[in-house]
Amino acid sequence: MHRIRRIAASLAAVTLIGSAVPAIASATSVITISGATASYPLVQLLAHKYSKLLHNKVSFRISQGGAQIGVNDVAAGRVTIGDVSRDPLPADPAGLVFYPIAKYGICVVTNKSNPLPNLSEAQVQAIFTGKTHEWGQVPGAGVSGPIDLISRTSTAGVLTNFKTLFLANKSVATTAAQEPSEGLLEQQVANDPHAIGFLSNYRADKGTVNPVGYNGVACSLANATSGQYAATARFYEVTKGKASGAAAKFIAWIDTSKAAKKIISSQWIPSH
Amino acid sequence: MSALVPDVALPAAPQRGRRSSVRTWRWSDRLVLLAAWGAGLTLCAVTAAIVLYMGYRGVQYLRPALLFSRPQVSQGQAGSGGFLDPLLGTALLTVIGIPIAAPLAICCALWIVEYGQGGRVRRSLTRVVESSIEIVAGTPDIVIALFGLAIFQLHVLSFVSFVGEGGGVYGRSFLAAGTMMSLIALPPLFVATRDGLLAVPAHMREAAYALGKTRIATIRRVLLPSVRSNIATGVTLGVSRIIADTAIVIVLLGDELRLAPQGGAPGLGLLRGTGSTLTSYVFDNSPAGEGDAPQKAYAAAFVLMLFVLLLNLAVERIARAHASSGGSVAVTGVV
Amino acid sequence: MERLRAPWSDHRAGLVLGAVALLACLSVLLMIVFVAARAWPTFAHNGLAWLGPSGNLTTQVENTLATSTDPPPSAFHVRVWPILYGTLLVTALALALALPLAVLAAVFIVELAPAALRRALVPVVRLLASVPSVIYGLIGVLVLVPFVGGHLITASERTSLQSTVQLTGAGLVVAVVVLAVMIAPIMVALVCDALAAVPAAWREGAAALGVNRVRAIRAVTLHAVRPAIVAAAVLATARALGEAIMISMVSGSVFFSPRPGDGVAFFFEPLRTFASTIVDYHEGLGAPALSSMLYACALMLLLSAFVLSVGGYFIKLPLRRYQVRG
Repeated sequence: MHRIRRIAASLAAVTLIGSAVPAIASATSVITISGATASYPLVQLLAHKYSKLLHNKVSFRISQGGAQIGVNDVAAGRVTIGDVSRDPLPADPAGLVFYPIAKYGICVVTNKSNPLPNLSEAQVQAIFTGKTHEWGQVPGAGVSGPIDLISRTSTAGVLTNFKTLFLANKSVATTAAQEPSEGLLEQQVANDPHAIGFLSNYRADKGTVNPVGYNGVACSLANATSGQYAATARFYEVTKGKASGAAAKFIAWIDTSKAAKKIISSQWIPSH
Repeated sequence: MSALVPDVALPAAPQRGRRSSVRTWRWSDRLVLLAAWGAGLTLCAVTAAIVLYMGYRGVQYLRPALLFSRPQVSQGQAGSGGFLDPLLGTALLTVIGIPIAAPLAICCALWIVEYGQGGRVRRSLTRVVESSIEIVAGTPDIVIALFGLAIFQLHVLSFVSFVGEGGGVYGRSFLAAGTMMSLIALPPLFVATRDGLLAVPAHMREAAYALGKTRIATIRRVLLPSVRSNIATGVTLGVSRIIADTAIVIVLLGDELRLAPQGGAPGLGLLRGTGSTLTSYVFDNSPAGEGDAPQKAYAAAFVLMLFVLLLNLAVERIARAHASSGGSVAVTGVV
Repeated sequence: MERLRAPWSDHRAGLVLGAVALLACLSVLLMIVFVAARAWPTFAHNGLAWLGPSGNLTTQVENTLATSTDPPPSAFHVRVWPILYGTLLVTALALALALPLAVLAAVFIVELAPAALRRALVPVVRLLASVPSVIYGLIGVLVLVPFVGGHLITASERTSLQSTVQLTGAGLVVAVVVLAVMIAPIMVALVCDALAAVPAAWREGAAALGVNRVRAIRAVTLHAVRPAIVAAAVLATARALGEAIMISMVSGSVFFSPRPGDGVAFFFEPLRTFASTIVDYHEGLGAPALSSMLYACALMLLLSAFVLSVGGYFIKLPLRRYQVRG
């Protein structure tokens, strides 16, 4: 009996110590973030860099769910900062402060076997509202057959911006598949030759899907940065009331530091 | 919730005497024979397919470096590191869940078998306890996860996780997930211990009483040692359920890839922090999570399968060792 | 060397053990109380009509997500018939597929298999039962869904349903097949146990009367284990209802009621169950209206687990006659 107890105690201690080895540094403050899936890669990189610069005195917990989830969580005090990929809406709860951190472009994307070079505004609206439903009716399409619309769930900030920038506030057809995250939308488009969707430029440029030009301008980071590509939107970090404490320092660092600007410029557009 | 499979006590093989040849049977009987063979072989084929496919993909994608490197924040599969932290997370959840579940299960089983058999009130209480454990066994793990979130987001229990900088109790941590995992491991431990206690012959207890030992002393000195292998089986089954559970991890452990301890104390900080386990790593890397890394998902899933296989072998080894030493381990299924 | 100390009295030990045992009951009670308390707002605003069909569930769920503090009563309005229908459909079809397979496999293992195969099949069944659901989901989403989407769904089916729903391969058939594989081992194990407990004299009596093996099984043994088959079905149903992760990965995740009138396309249509809805929306638990709806789904699952446990208990009473424990 004693031997079993000793063995069990030592096993537990070894596991705890073994787990403590990679986690030696203890953070004194934790910033919790939730929200947009489009800005998640950016915020993750920024948080990682900031944490390293401060020698792990600040740690981050980042979860996703969509821009609306970020707004809800920060308004309810559940998280410190919300990632939001759309502009503030009138329906948003009062008292939230939006800090812009970067800009991004929104690209229409198709499967790689459908190298559609360009779509006009009218064509995009006809396709995404369901009026056009055959690839045969779209000039330049590389496939034939029914058009599979892939959209996002309503929590997505990218969807809100897509409707404003591309669809003149019309709604996406109800038959569109609703993916809960950018990654899943990218996957759906990459796996389905008949699919068409929309992604932030970071994902569209990865090479897994075909970014479609809009109104004659190719959707690329260079064009979006120079302003030639018109469909750009902002990423915001949102706090309840003015940011304070560790959160304020983090947001200020993103705004002013060169390291942050370098990270942002790698795949996104600096806001200034 | 993965069910437990009983040890099948099979009857002796039928005597190979003179049996009626299949050719004399009616067609419906032949059909049933064919269907039974088909069903049995399908079962074998499906298992072989799953094991072989996971093995093939695992060997294809698993590199030893993955087991020892930590997940990295990166923009593609190549740089995203390995799954050391998920492995440690799985071990941590087991280390938290089993020590909570085991005393609970053993005490319940002891009470029911030793103290709960006499008198009407006691017997109805026994039935209540057994029914509650059955209900826990039958509850889906996602409901247990939501229950955990509901109680651990109360401010009273904020010490289990931490309070974020907006005043909100995070509610998600290894402690929270581990406590709910103990509910998952409780039924198999309870059933194994109870059946082992029921199988102890009455004369052992009577001999102890005849020697003047009290009931509690009998439990400590006679009964518990004799059900050691049942408890071991129960623990192994509980561990295999804990490492296989995904829903509780996804809801109660947050979205972190790496172990992220919370607070100053080295041990307690780890428990109050978040991280990931093998199962949530597989889910997040599959096309259902963020889906960018099916190769990592396959590699991690292969490691998970290996653990499950090893635990199954361990259960069988314990059963065989105990059977050969003269006891009977009847591990019946959990409702 | 033994440390001498006064041992506890039996009475005290009994009380302590009893208190710990009641802790288990307390956890169940707490679970029901907390889940019901969180679920109450949805039922207060919708009543039992919550389960009925009306309106587009997708837009209703969007509404629940849109408000984070002090949601107006209209935010709670949901009608979850598609979820209820999806849950019942998947469970019923998986059970219909798995039960005959499981009974036949159990008969094979206990009665008909050669000894070597029989020894191999027992660990096989146990292994199938302990494979984690995330691995079933992984195989489903990486192997079966592309196969169904790429090779089984025809372009005409896609076009005919284009105005209603998209067929991507993730849908009813993959969910049903994988779920059947998941619940079959449970039933096999229980029925094997029961078949093994049938007295040998019955088998021998049939043989003495000149009945061949299979006929003896059909006429005698299977009748004797009918309660065990029902208990196995109850257990498998409970398991199938609670499966969340695998269904979320392979079922297409759309609030849609598959329509039998669509012919073969019925099997490719996506759906959602109560458990998979909770997994899909668990990140949105911050919005009070959505959180209350998800807890209401959890309450449905809890109640069904409760009902099935109680029902299983009453079904198992006759099992005790055959000394089948469980």
